[in-house]
Amino acid sequence: MSSRDQAVRLVLRSVSPEEHLAFVRAQESASFLQVPAWGPVKSEWRRESVGWFRPGTGDEAAEVMVGAALVLYRQLPKVKRFLAYLPEGPVLDWASFSSPDVHLGDYTAPLLAHLKKKGAFGVRIGPPVVTRRWSSSQIKDGIADENVRRLDDIAPLERSVTGAAVVSQLNELGWIPQSVEGGFAAGQPQYNFHVPLTVDGRAKTEDEVLKSMNQLWRRNIKKAAKEGVVVSRGTRDDLAAFHALYVHTAERDHFTPRPLSYFQKMWDSLTPEEDDRFVLHLAHHEDDLVAATISVRVGAHSWYSYGASSTEKREVRGSNAVQWQMIRSALAAGAKVYDMRGITDTLDADDAHVGLIQFKVGTGGEAVEYVGEWDMPINKLLYTAFDIYMKRR
Amino acid sequence: MTLTLTVDGDRWRDHLISVAEATPGLVPVAKGNGYGFGLGRLARRAQWLAERGAALGHTAPGEAWGDVLAVGTYDELAEVADRFDGSLLVLTPWRPFGAALEVDPKLADRVIHTVSRPEDLAALLERQSDARYVLEVVTSMLRHGMDARGLRSLGDLAHRGRLEGVALHLPLAQGSHLGQVRRLITDAISAGLPTTTLWVSHLTSIELAALRASYSDFTIRPRIGTQLWLGERAALTVTAQVLDVHPVERGDLFGYRGRTAPKNGHVLVVSGGTAHGIGLEAPSGDLSLKSRAATLARGGMDAVGFVRSPFAIDGKQRLFAEPPHMQASMLFLPAGSRVPAVGDEVEVRVRYTATTFDRVVVS
Repeated sequence: MSSRDQAVRLVLRSVSPEEHLAFVRAQESASFLQVPAWGPVKSEWRRESVGWFRPGTGDEAAEVMVGAALVLYRQLPKVKRFLAYLPEGPVLDWASFSSPDVHLGDYTAPLLAHLKKKGAFGVRIGPPVVTRRWSSSQIKDGIADENVRRLDDIAPLERSVTGAAVVSQLNELGWIPQSVEGGFAAGQPQYNFHVPLTVDGRAKTEDEVLKSMNQLWRRNIKKAAKEGVVVSRGTRDDLAAFHALYVHTAERDHFTPRPLSYFQKMWDSLTPEEDDRFVLHLAHHEDDLVAATISVRVGAHSWYSYGASSTEKREVRGSNAVQWQMIRSALAAGAKVYDMRGITDTLDADDAHVGLIQFKVGTGGEAVEYVGEWDMPINKLLYTAFDIYMKRR
Repeated sequence: MTLTLTVDGDRWRDHLISVAEATPGLVPVAKGNGYGFGLGRLARRAQWLAERGAALGHTAPGEAWGDVLAVGTYDELAEVADRFDGSLLVLTPWRPFGAALEVDPKLADRVIHTVSRPEDLAALLERQSDARYVLEVVTSMLRHGMDARGLRSLGDLAHRGRLEGVALHLPLAQGSHLGQVRRLITDAISAGLPTTTLWVSHLTSIELAALRASYSDFTIRPRIGTQLWLGERAALTVTAQVLDVHPVERGDLFGYRGRTAPKNGHVLVVSGGTAHGIGLEAPSGDLSLKSRAATLARGGMDAVGFVRSPFAIDGKQRLFAEPPHMQASMLFLPAGSRVPAVGDEVEVRVRYTATTFDRVVVS
């Protein structure tokens, strides 16, 4: 109990984008949805950068910044109240919460008080903390096994103490989990696919990464090289070519494409923030654009964010070539994780989503489960109204 | 002179085996009145189960059928310890006082303590540095157990002694328990405990199967009492002997309280009274308005007239002629009914966990 009495009261306040960015730069990694430059991409929402500060102590008078967040304010129709959304955030030293002396409530209390003053009727956070991991071979076996329908039906390779500590404390504090079974949730995906770029605490070599891929991936990467597929870094002007191919992909794979202006906004906001915060990759075969992707990197975390591929000339394997180039760039930049983003938790061979996980599994990476998104209602009535509105949409 | 529990042995033993087969890792529970059978008999039966399981190759902790027997209290250890030779889990949490401190040193290595407060773990390990124990997590039942913060506060303490798992005592099913179980396991994982064994109770077989699938990296030890020992009701018969039969006419006086017979018939004296638990109803747990009204109505009958007894003659439950005596009960049999003879047996419906039998006969 004594440690509670001595707990320092953290102060939260609005910070400038510069302070926010400086904090993110000092971290090993943070979600790209939590960098200040992400705010302008979501231009339809109000945004605010906030920071947590530990007051100076006797010896050191200066306060220390111990956390940051990009808050997006999403307005409730017709009412001037907002859902305060911290996608894949906030940026905190999440590992510290496995210590019994570190209390998540010390961070959430000032956050909630601040957001309430700003007119939030509810808060949604998504701690970027892994709770469970499954290896590629476990997933492969799971898809082959009729009795296994979801990732949860297989004991994971690892259950993270830190992840459990965060979930446990969120439960204690009364946050409401937003995860949904099967399919993608409305917010950020709870299950993701990671290709680890380190082994035994050191960076993997390109050879080691290649070796953990399945034979098909390796063969395709080799084939693309032999066919003379060339991957280059695109300019802002190349976004139009990327977008045309992306719209083509969307038609083929039945998803709704975003407009070109969205990618231009991403470029304009993210590119100046860091050298390879946002990179457009183009894979050409002779003069044809056969694949194009966007990668994003924050510190030691590199994401495959958007992808497009042509239907013609599939045999030159432009998609594999561009993925391999993104992985190599991530390795070269010192990234520890190559993140292929969301998967569903289905391992049912008949489920339409299983193809996506099978493609990603070929890289030899691992499926990870995150803590997921959690809500804290501030105004119960408005929160409930919003919840119903979101479900009916 | 006896209230007898007669057990169809073959049927009962078949049932025990079938429960064990369906429940790998089974931990039989023998507590209180031994579910009517007596603690000693259940301890011997648990030993039999364990040996049966071992003979079939079920020896790993998550597979065994009774390598551990759970008792309710420290005082119950003496009754089971020399009839069962495996480990003994005490379900009542260890406290730094009372019977917990008087465990026979010869049993020290067989006893698994239940620890439900961080300060108790420190005190237990202080007294016995190699103590075997499970950590109880508080459930929605809010009886005993540590919350997530308590578990996390243990730190290195849980790496001392011999931690044998995490124990959950769930409330009786009201919908699915799985959500709660998952949340509690997450709490345990968050404490970084050096164990992956879960001791659970009151899960349905479907819930257990789901738990085994998503936690196949854990060893699951289901604690089962009622469903194991009393799950095959058809194998159990309870009978009382007719000790005396008195013809009465309307208006005749009888009994301790000098009641009068309401009409012609017979007063029957049968074995089985308050000392056996007859007429002492265990609370039913049914809280519906209807059942509470029925209880009130029964109380009313008690005051003005006769109350239905648990004794049945020719399949019909008979009325108490007056409240049960200590070892016998008086029943009223209206004229026209078949009158049993002295020495005949009549059937009794009892709550096994609240009844003390004079004899238990297992065929």
